[in-house]
Amino acid sequence: MSTIAIISSFADETQCVQAVEELRAAQVGDFNTFSPIPSHKIEHAIGRSKSPVRWLVLAGGISGVLTGLAITIGTTYEWRLNAGGRPLLSWPPFIVICFELMVLLGGIFGFFGVLMLSGVPTTTMAPGYDGRFGEDRFGIVVRCDEAEAARVESMLKESGAEEVVREDEAQPR
Amino acid sequence: MSINLQRAHRERAAMKPRAVESVAGTTMKTVAGAMIVLGAIAFVLALIRGGATIAWEAYLVNLLFFLGVAQGAVVASASFYLTQAKWGGSTPYRLGEAFAPFLWVGFFLFFGLYFGRSLIFPWVTHPIAQKAAWLNTPFLFARDGIGLGVMAAASFAFIRVSRSDGARAWTIATDEIELPPHSIRVFAPLVAVLFAAVYSLIAFDLVMSLAPVWRSTLFGWYFFAGCFWSGLTAMALTAAVLRGRLGENNLFTNPTVMHDFGKMVFAFSVFWIYLLFAQYIVIWYGDLPVETFFIVHRVHHMPWSPLSVACLVLIWLIPFTALMSVRAKKTPVILGTVAGLGLAGMWLERYVLVVPSLSLDAIPFGATQFLISIGFLGAFLISAVPGLNRVAQAATSGEPVGDEAE
Repeated sequence: MSTIAIISSFADETQCVQAVEELRAAQVGDFNTFSPIPSHKIEHAIGRSKSPVRWLVLAGGISGVLTGLAITIGTTYEWRLNAGGRPLLSWPPFIVICFELMVLLGGIFGFFGVLMLSGVPTTTMAPGYDGRFGEDRFGIVVRCDEAEAARVESMLKESGAEEVVREDEAQPR
Repeated sequence: MSINLQRAHRERAAMKPRAVESVAGTTMKTVAGAMIVLGAIAFVLALIRGGATIAWEAYLVNLLFFLGVAQGAVVASASFYLTQAKWGGSTPYRLGEAFAPFLWVGFFLFFGLYFGRSLIFPWVTHPIAQKAAWLNTPFLFARDGIGLGVMAAASFAFIRVSRSDGARAWTIATDEIELPPHSIRVFAPLVAVLFAAVYSLIAFDLVMSLAPVWRSTLFGWYFFAGCFWSGLTAMALTAAVLRGRLGENNLFTNPTVMHDFGKMVFAFSVFWIYLLFAQYIVIWYGDLPVETFFIVHRVHHMPWSPLSVACLVLIWLIPFTALMSVRAKKTPVILGTVAGLGLAGMWLERYVLVVPSLSLDAIPFGATQFLISIGFLGAFLISAVPGLNRVAQAATSGEPVGDEAE
C-alpha cells in the first residue's frame, strides 16, 4: 500500500474551510493547507493550538525590562549625579527606558520567533505547492493511502474544489 | 453574499431570539424619579442649612462625570463609524447612543453652576489680573454653554442619521466594503472633533480653573480620554447586564461581541494611564512648584493620597490585569465587574480632580454628597430609558452579526 498526494484547489475560502472540516472529521491521511491570504477561518478549521510565539515575546519583554533596569540603575550608580536634589534612584524616567526596551526586545523576539517557528526563510517548496496558492486560490494537499484516494477525492469535490489531481499527474507551474 | 454568511443567516434565523421590545419601563422610571427627588431634597437642604460649598462640589463632580459618560458613549458610536466597525451589527451603535438624552439635561444643569460660582471658582472672589480676560464669569458661561449646546446638537444630529435606514443597513451589511452613508461621513467626524475641542475646554474651565495658577497643556486631552473610556465602560457594563435580561441568543450572548467590548475597555484604560503618565513625567522633570503642587496635594497629601491610588487601581491596574486574557474578556461576569469598578474609579477620579482644589485637608463626602450623586444617577438612568429599549430591540432582532465564523 503506497501513500499518494492529492492536490486540490478552491476559489472560495468557505469551501476550503468546509473541506478541511470534513477531512478532519473523516480522519484520512494528513494534509497541508495553502492560502493566498491570512485566514482566521482556515486557521480555526485546522484546529491548531495557539502559537508558542507568545512565550517568546513574553521572554523578550521581560528581558527588555531587566535590561532597562540594569542600564538605568547601573549608570546612575556609576555616575552619581545630583539632579535638582532628587533621590539618586528616581523611578519616573526609569519607567520610560524600561518600557521602551520591553517593547523593543519583545518586538525583536516576536519577529525572529515567527521566522523561526514558521521555518522562514526556506529554499525548498512544501510538497504539492502550486503557484496559484500564492495568487488567488486556496489549496489542500492530502497525503493518504492509495485505497482511500477515491474517497478523499470525492470529499474534496463535494466541498467545491475546482480541481482535484493526484500529485503524479500535476503540472507544476 | 457568501455561502458562509448565508449559512450564518440560516442558523441565526433557526435560533432566533425572542424579540424583546422593552427592558426599561415604569419600574426603572419610578426608581430613577425617586432618586432624583432624593438628590434634589439633599441639595436644597444643604443650601439652606449652610452646606452650600459641599453641595456645589458634588454637583460639579457629578455633572462632569455623567456628562462625560453620556458624551463619551456617543463619541464611541461615532468612532465605530470612523473605523467602519461591523462586529456587532447595529447594536453597539444603539448602545453608544443610549445615554445621549442626558446631554441636554447636563447642558441645562451646567447653567446651574452660575448660582454656585462664587463657591466653586476661586477666581470669582479673588480675580487673577493676568488671567481676567479668560477667567471671568460671563465669558466662561458663554463659551462653555455654547460649547455644550453645539456638542449636544451635533450629537443628536449624528444620532438621527445613525438611526436612519441607510446607516442601519450599512452596519449589518458584513460582506460589503462600501463606506457608510454620506451624512454619517459628515456627522461622525464632526462629533469626534467637536468632542476633543469642547471637552478640552470643559476640562480647562471647570477643573483646571479651580486651581487657577496650575496648568498642564495635556490636561484637556487626558480629561476627554477619561470621558471616552467611561462611555465605553458604561457600554460594556450595560451589555453585561442586558445579556442576562434579554433571553436566549441575544447579541450579548455572543462571546466574540463581548470580547470586542473587553478589548476596548482594556485598550483605552491603557491609553488613559499613558496620558496620565505623559503629564506626570513632564511635571516631575520640570519640578516647578507652580506645577507640582497639584499632584503633591493629591498623591502625597493625606487624606487624598489613598483615593488617588484607588483611581489608578480601579481605572488601570484592575482592567489591565483582569482583562488580559481572552477568556476573561469573554466572561460577562468578569467584564461587567471590571467595567463597574472602572466607572466607580472614574467617578472617584473626577472627585479627586475637583474637590482637593476646594477642600484640601478633609474629604467632605457625607450623606449630602452621596444623595446628590444618587440624584444625578437617577437623572442619567431616566434619560437612558428609551435608548436602552432600542438596544434591547437591536440586540434581539436577529440581525446578522459580523463574521460569525470566527
